Amino acid sequence: MISLAGRDILHGWGKFVLTGMGLGLLIGVTLSMAGVYRGMVDDAQALLDNSRADLWVVQKDTLGPYAEPSSLTEDSERPIQAMRGVAQAAGVTYLTMQIAHGDKDVRVMVVGAEMGEPGLPGQPTHLISGRQIVRGHYEAVADVKTGFAIGDHVRVRRNLYTIVGLTSRMVSSGGDPMLFLSLKDAQTAQFQKDSDAIVRQRARTAANPQLNPPGNPAVAQAVNAVQSGNTNVNAILVTITPDANPDEVAADIRRWQRLTVYTRAEMEEILVQKLIANSARQIAMFLVILSIVSAAIVAFIIYTMTIGKIREIAVLKLIGTRNRTISWMILQQALGLGLIGFIVGKIAASLWAPFFPKYVLLLPSDSILGFVAVMLICTLASFLAIQAAIKVDPAEAIGG
Amino acid sequence: MAEGIILENVVKTYGSGDTAVHALRGVDMAVAKGEVVGLIGPSGSGKSTLLKCLGAVIEPTSGKMTIGDQCIYDNGWKVRDLRALRRDMIGFIFQAPYLIPFLDVTDNVALLPMLAGKANAEARKMARDLLDALDVGHRAAGMPSQLSGGEQQRVAIARALINRPPVILADEPTAPLDGQRALAVVGLLNDMARQFDTAIIIVTHDEKIIPTFKRLYNIRDGRTVEEVQGQAA
Repeated sequence: MISLAGRDILHGWGKFVLTGMGLGLLIGVTLSMAGVYRGMVDDAQALLDNSRADLWVVQKDTLGPYAEPSSLTEDSERPIQAMRGVAQAAGVTYLTMQIAHGDKDVRVMVVGAEMGEPGLPGQPTHLISGRQIVRGHYEAVADVKTGFAIGDHVRVRRNLYTIVGLTSRMVSSGGDPMLFLSLKDAQTAQFQKDSDAIVRQRARTAANPQLNPPGNPAVAQAVNAVQSGNTNVNAILVTITPDANPDEVAADIRRWQRLTVYTRAEMEEILVQKLIANSARQIAMFLVILSIVSAAIVAFIIYTMTIGKIREIAVLKLIGTRNRTISWMILQQALGLGLIGFIVGKIAASLWAPFFPKYVLLLPSDSILGFVAVMLICTLASFLAIQAAIKVDPAEAIGG
Repeated sequence: MAEGIILENVVKTYGSGDTAVHALRGVDMAVAKGEVVGLIGPSGSGKSTLLKCLGAVIEPTSGKMTIGDQCIYDNGWKVRDLRALRRDMIGFIFQAPYLIPFLDVTDNVALLPMLAGKANAEARKMARDLLDALDVGHRAAGMPSQLSGGEQQRVAIARALINRPPVILADEPTAPLDGQRALAVVGLLNDMARQFDTAIIIVTHDEKIIPTFKRLYNIRDGRTVEEVQGQAA
């Protein structure tokens, strides 16, 4: 038996392909939405991977440093470093801000990392050109997504920094590219007060006889030095020795240092389940709506195509064609439409993904799932047309 | 001559009670194999209903219908699979050819034997032979839209004949054709009836072809009156 659906598609292939392409663009948008969600999750995981930490030590009872503000003294690092099972510990600061670049602004996450010895957690990884920060001040490493080039000078707060290295896939959980500074520079950028505030603070200190005792100016100088400097960090990143258990080390730090500690799994849960949960739900809603719209469009197209062939269907039934042969023809056409739509959608999503401002990750598993969903939607959508075809009276071919 | 189709007191009533419409009030009809008869009558006389009953598309209310030597209806259907009955025992020719636009000419004709379970190659060979016999073999590879009206009607005739049915029902097959072509189609149907030993019933309003029938059934108010004409093809 010949394929009636195949012949019908070949007969009007132009119309069929164009319809499939229209559907494909919609499927492309659906796949892209899934890709946006995957990209967000991947960004979050990249953030954790690139920090190279096993444990995140943050201010007590906070979800810091990514989901909530966290501030703890840099000095907390030393006792942690001395604890059993800890290989390395390094303070780190995170600050999301706008950086001027040429005539436009770039949103970046400024990361302050300890550069004292190579390989400390928090330092930039995936260096694709240039070098690491080796000077104590005024050097920066940027992610390529910032658009900065080696040798560029960028202003962070009051100071100018020279880009000495470029990295890739170093982004925040929100997808903002990272700009690495030395910890000291980043602390200055994050905690430094503006000049007017410093002047007012100094005037208040000078006016206070307890902080500025007569005949002893060194006290006021010391107080001013303490007030203008800041040695806080947002988190201490910890790597553990190969034989250590992260949960046990985390428990020790919690008990002895009275700080909150998150393991990799816990931090991943905070990022994925809490930080991007709302965005994920938003995207899920879009996916549901797009799936319903796709199903409605396929149903409408297949129904219209079937209604346009009522006379032929009546003739086919009159000459002895089984209902199931006609139903199979309609179902095959719906699946064919879905197949063309999926191929076009996949190609479209792959082509336009790099142009999205945020990372769009198109996973093969999502594509397979998308393909199954499209075929399922097309199958369901064809039921309406099949019902219409089954109801066609063969008598319609005779007389009227 | 052996009978192709016999109708005895076939009644068809739509609805019931006060609103009942008596479309057929007891039709008697007999058409021999190899014979072509005309079925004429004014609009609303019951021609279409009779054709639908004959075509096993609607069920008569009562009566008896026999095709060849098989009783297909006797106050109830006597065959279980009406779809197979239509496919194997009844050929249809419509007012317009109603060829399947997405199948080429050969497959339009070969579709019926394929539906009956014949292999594609065998069905296509049968179709090509029949198209040659009907003088449209040279258009076998074409699509219906590329054929003239007359050629399309010949293909439709080939489709009706391909399974060698005992009966062919033709519903105003010459309506869209001019006089010359209409007469040619009737001549062709007469030839085919003789060649394939098929009973052909042609429903028509076409004054040009009515004189060509040896026998006519005139249907009025749901009853048939047989008329025998002197001049015929």
